[in-house]
Amino acid sequence: MDFVDSDLERALAALRRASEAAANLDVRVTDEYLRLIQAVEALPQNQPGADKSGRWLGSREWWRFVREGHVVKPRT
Amino acid sequence: MRYVVIGVSGANLYGPSGQAIFTTDDVDLFLPLDPENLVEAWAACTESGLQLTAGNEPLDMPRDRWLAERMIERAALTRAFGPDNFAVDLTLVMKGFDFETVWNARREFVIDSLRIPVARLRHIVESKEAAGRDKDRLFLATHRDALEQLLKKPEGL
Repeated sequence: MDFVDSDLERALAALRRASEAAANLDVRVTDEYLRLIQAVEALPQNQPGADKSGRWLGSREWWRFVREGHVVKPRT
Repeated sequence: MRYVVIGVSGANLYGPSGQAIFTTDDVDLFLPLDPENLVEAWAACTESGLQLTAGNEPLDMPRDRWLAERMIERAALTRAFGPDNFAVDLTLVMKGFDFETVWNARREFVIDSLRIPVARLRHIVESKEAAGRDKDRLFLATHRDALEQLLKKPEGL
């Protein structure tokens, strides 16, 4: 790559900051977190047999978007 | 063939259609330490037009029980790629859990008329806590907030 455009630079800097911040995050799975999980699993849309085709399609589109990403030349 | 959807792609299925998804670039399928099952999984991927790789190289041929046993000995990952950049990881390891525990507690959802076994959200989250990689920590830091937001919506959507 001959250049890094400013938008990409900012995006990479944000990723670096996020990665650095991750080391200090409090990410324990507390009892409160587990209660939230239990409540979400109990929602009607998360019962066994629920149709998740729409949710899956959204994920597929996101994967396609991410994997087809490429560097573009900056506007002059 | 037995498998369970795990990882971020599994966690995303517990959200409603309108809610943002957590970023991931693949689907993680957790498989038992069973050579016959692994051979079946490879065959299913091949029949679906996916290219199989192991360690960044094409998976060896023949893709038989002998090869599956060697892969299981090493708990090696098989990665499958589709023509539309769709990627599937066939993993034999889920940090903190054995397959039977996750399988017995699985929840089945329907996707395009197929019943898909998905790990319980608690198992996915606890595995991410056990793995403790940066990407797992970032996921956990935002996932709890996402659950809170989801539960605040009166219609549960």
